[in-house]
Amino acid sequence: MLQHFDPNKDYGTPASLSEKLVTLEIDGVEVTVPEGTSVMRAAAMYDINIPKLCATDSLEAFGSCRICAVQIEGRRGTPASCTTPVDAGMKVTTQNDKLAKLRRNIMELYISDHPLDCLTCPANGDCELQDMAGAVGLREVRYGFEGNNHLNAEKDQSNPYFTFDASKCIVCSRCVRACSEVQGTFALTIDGRGFDSKVAAGQNEPFLDSECVSCGACVQACPTATLMENSVIDMGTPEHSVTTTCAYCGVGCSFKAEMKGDKLVRMVPAKEGDANHGHSCVKGRFAFGYATHKDRIKAPMIRDSIDQPWQEVSWEEAIGFAAKRLKDIQAQYGRESIGGITSSRCTNEETYLVQKLIRAAFGNNNTDTCARVCHSPTGYGLKQTLGESAGTQTFDSVMHSDCILVIGANPTDAHPVFGSLMRRRLREGASLIVTDPREIDLLNTPHLGDATHLPLRPGTNVAMVNALAHVVVTEGYEDKEFIASRCDTKAYAKWREFIIDERHAPEAVEAITGVSAEKVREAARKFATAKNASIYYGLGVTEHSQGSTTVMGIANLALATGNIGREGVGVNPLRGQNNVQGSCDMGSFPHELPGYQHVADSVARARFEKAWGVELDDEPGLRIPNMFDAALAGEFRAMYVQGEDIAQSDPNTQHVEAALSALDCLIVQDIFLNETAKYAHVLLPGSTFLEKNGTFTNAERRINRVRKVMAPVAGKEDWEVTVDLANALGYPMSYSHPSEIMDEIASLTPSFANVSYERLEEHGSLQWPCNDAFPMGSPIMHTESFPIGDEGKAKFAVTEFVPTTERANSRFPLLLTTGRILSQYNVGAQTRRTDNQAWHDEDILELHPHDAEERGIKTGDWLGISSRAGQTVLRAKVSERMQPGVVYTTFHHPGSGANVITTNNSDWATNCPEYKVTAVQVEKVSQPSEWQKNFQDNHERQYEFLRGSASANSAVK
Amino acid sequence: MFHTEEESIVTMINHIAQNNVSAGTESDVADMVESHITKFWSRRMKKILAEQLATGTEEFEPAAKVAAQRISDKLAAKA
Ligand code: SF4
Ligand code: SF4
Ligand code: SF4
Ligand code: FES
Repeated sequence: MLQHFDPNKDYGTPASLSEKLVTLEIDGVEVTVPEGTSVMRAAAMYDINIPKLCATDSLEAFGSCRICAVQIEGRRGTPASCTTPVDAGMKVTTQNDKLAKLRRNIMELYISDHPLDCLTCPANGDCELQDMAGAVGLREVRYGFEGNNHLNAEKDQSNPYFTFDASKCIVCSRCVRACSEVQGTFALTIDGRGFDSKVAAGQNEPFLDSECVSCGACVQACPTATLMENSVIDMGTPEHSVTTTCAYCGVGCSFKAEMKGDKLVRMVPAKEGDANHGHSCVKGRFAFGYATHKDRIKAPMIRDSIDQPWQEVSWEEAIGFAAKRLKDIQAQYGRESIGGITSSRCTNEETYLVQKLIRAAFGNNNTDTCARVCHSPTGYGLKQTLGESAGTQTFDSVMHSDCILVIGANPTDAHPVFGSLMRRRLREGASLIVTDPREIDLLNTPHLGDATHLPLRPGTNVAMVNALAHVVVTEGYEDKEFIASRCDTKAYAKWREFIIDERHAPEAVEAITGVSAEKVREAARKFATAKNASIYYGLGVTEHSQGSTTVMGIANLALATGNIGREGVGVNPLRGQNNVQGSCDMGSFPHELPGYQHVADSVARARFEKAWGVELDDEPGLRIPNMFDAALAGEFRAMYVQGEDIAQSDPNTQHVEAALSALDCLIVQDIFLNETAKYAHVLLPGSTFLEKNGTFTNAERRINRVRKVMAPVAGKEDWEVTVDLANALGYPMSYSHPSEIMDEIASLTPSFANVSYERLEEHGSLQWPCNDAFPMGSPIMHTESFPIGDEGKAKFAVTEFVPTTERANSRFPLLLTTGRILSQYNVGAQTRRTDNQAWHDEDILELHPHDAEERGIKTGDWLGISSRAGQTVLRAKVSERMQPGVVYTTFHHPGSGANVITTNNSDWATNCPEYKVTAVQVEKVSQPSEWQKNFQDNHERQYEFLRGSASANSAVK
Repeated sequence: MFHTEEESIVTMINHIAQNNVSAGTESDVADMVESHITKFWSRRMKKILAEQLATGTEEFEPAAKVAAQRISDKLAAKA
């Protein structure tokens, strides 16, 4: 009988996906496995374990060490079992004297060039070489350890997270293959031949200077201690593990948190994780040190005004203080004078509770979330066209794509593990079209085949997407059958009439987008004629004054070409934060209850009213920018902000700072004294993902468990704090575990009806909708109908191009666009407190050589950047990746003030800020901007206030 | 870039009208604008909109003006 798949076991070679089964005999046992399976894997599936060194099941077999030799009846010699596929009727012998001798001889050669310091080696007990030496029964080494060997090779300790100790290398090339096959970076090679061969990073450089992106795949693949996590070298091998979900990006990788007592030793991506299949990036695998950083807020604090030092108090006192202030403010200024912000970093359960607190205990709908500033246009645009505010596919679906269109996204930096998967598909031959002002790294994928870059001007996405659709329709590439059977006829006819107009022709918009018409036509043809064409997009689409229009334009394009509802196609928003999908699903927006049920929908509202025991407001509440405006007008006076840093992440920082300063009571719940907390009156210690139970929902709508591996530093998980605040406000909440919160969510949210912790335990993860119609969840959506209208037909939307008012002129002649890089995460509060700083310790301004030369700017110069909103100073990097006239920066470091220059312009439908287009001027300067000086002063003062509280408190103690 | 909250409210409704200009006739566009605002704007934004329509100096797009009038009438009826 076939064994159950055990994710902890290494089967030696990857699984075969064939459905055809083959039966053979191994050591007299009859085994039946899929065609294409290796003899090694077939044996392992029946618990017959053949020794191996160069094989591991995350990599294609290589056949270099020969230790896995077997004998096969009727075949000559001793073939390697890892590279030999099974055949029907084959008779295999894995153990006999001849094989044992052969294996011992091989092992002897390896060991003669290996330092015998096993007892003091960091991999002791977790070393495949050691295990195999035992397995083959090696007892003596006849070659001696003198002579030509690698024992004195130097260690490479340049990477902050792992060490390369070449003396222990057995040149199995697993690392090299992991870097190319799994990660797709091709940073490693085997240098030299025969005995002299060795592993080299880049052009024989230290790891840190090579193109290595520190994903750690090589470290994980290495069977010896050659590539080893520094944390294991320091702390020793872990003793137990807990499976959980990465809290950085929207890929939602599953990890085993490997522990020693209550100390986290390392994070190892879980093979059974459906989003990542055992891969990870530098953030998820290595950047967890922030959890134990000295800056963690460890006790609740309060103060009357933001000019005062913090006072450390008990939880009861802090919650009581906050509740009293909220109540007093509401009594004086009315029910709508307070509100809150849910976190896309916290769990679904926590987010749900915060919006419940606001709607039920505050009694208004003034709830919003950071998705406002990233993917709110996705919610709006996809709901209007496809009926559901979420991406349509699984990540794995990309492996069936023949043409991949990437618009305004940079997956290798912002969604690295998915970026690696996409690269794998591109190496297999899928064609690539990138619509982006910058030449993103995906375009430099090693072994990339057919690729087109449409380097459009910032702010012209709608014109571009319309032009692509225009070509599809006017050149006869529409999927008429799909449109007739799956789309609303009236909406389609209207759209068709709109899109065939000559003003959308690539020739007509060439002057707007700056991309040659012929190139656009070719790209459209390529997309339309591919068997399976998929679209992936990111914040380069949404963070524009026409973000929602572009999202609808993308849906139009997918519908017109019939690319929805099966593997390999679809509309795929690459969502930023770990739980931004979840925070939207959980009713964080002011107009929607959980599950995207509008507050004015009386049937839905009645269900919530019954369950929550209160009457709910039927009018939408304030969005984040409205909260700021109302605060400045004196009508909005208190705010509860859980796990978001609006003072750094939101546009037009000076406006935000003025609004926050105007509040009578700002309650911030966070793990650090973030920028927003500098304006707070109550500071409640947050808990990291390692310190709590819950769920995150990734960009594929996959609900994954988050499991507690250590106690929260201040004693409470984030959801417990919200519960306390609700109770103090007189609205009773009593949950003893997040699973109870999920049960409540499931009872009120139709798309979550069948979700429970029990079922998550059983299935590992579930993709919503998960209810009676889709009991096992929905990996691919819209396979038969769309959840829209009575007939379930998708709606084409008319998408007029309206240029942004933010235009370059003689005063501000350049366009600034902002983005992210791999090693830092969002506002950087976490990653800046890790060794990821080694890669990016400041935000810099990239500009084209032409623009640099005109202004006499060289790489490294200090540049003053001014816009209509403000001024800041950053260092310059002259870069060919930019087009002339466009400059670029990241916003990971608060002191850079990237958002001091971004403006109040926003998406017409959702108010998502236009981060991607700001007209600026740059010039050489010699000192920081006024804002930066003030920032630095306030920063020092606020940290002093914090330190003051800690020392005052320890003095009392 | 705009400055006061009042200005921004009018800019926003005009922006919605401009983005839906291809919805059809002026009244079709006004329908889109009205339903959008009803669905997404807060009570406070609607109130400022009505005030601006009555007494403000900001310029409305024609369809936006029709929609603003309807919203304002609904508010008055509710009050
Ligand atoms: S860490 Fe990742 S990118 Fe760097 S060498 Fe290893 S596999 Fe390649
Ligand atoms: S570093 Fe490790 S994985 Fe790479 S060749 Fe050496 S032993 Fe094999
Ligand atoms: S890709 Fe995203 S979810 Fe996966 S490890 Fe990296 S940051 Fe975490
Ligand atoms: S494990 Fe098969 S040749 Fe190395």
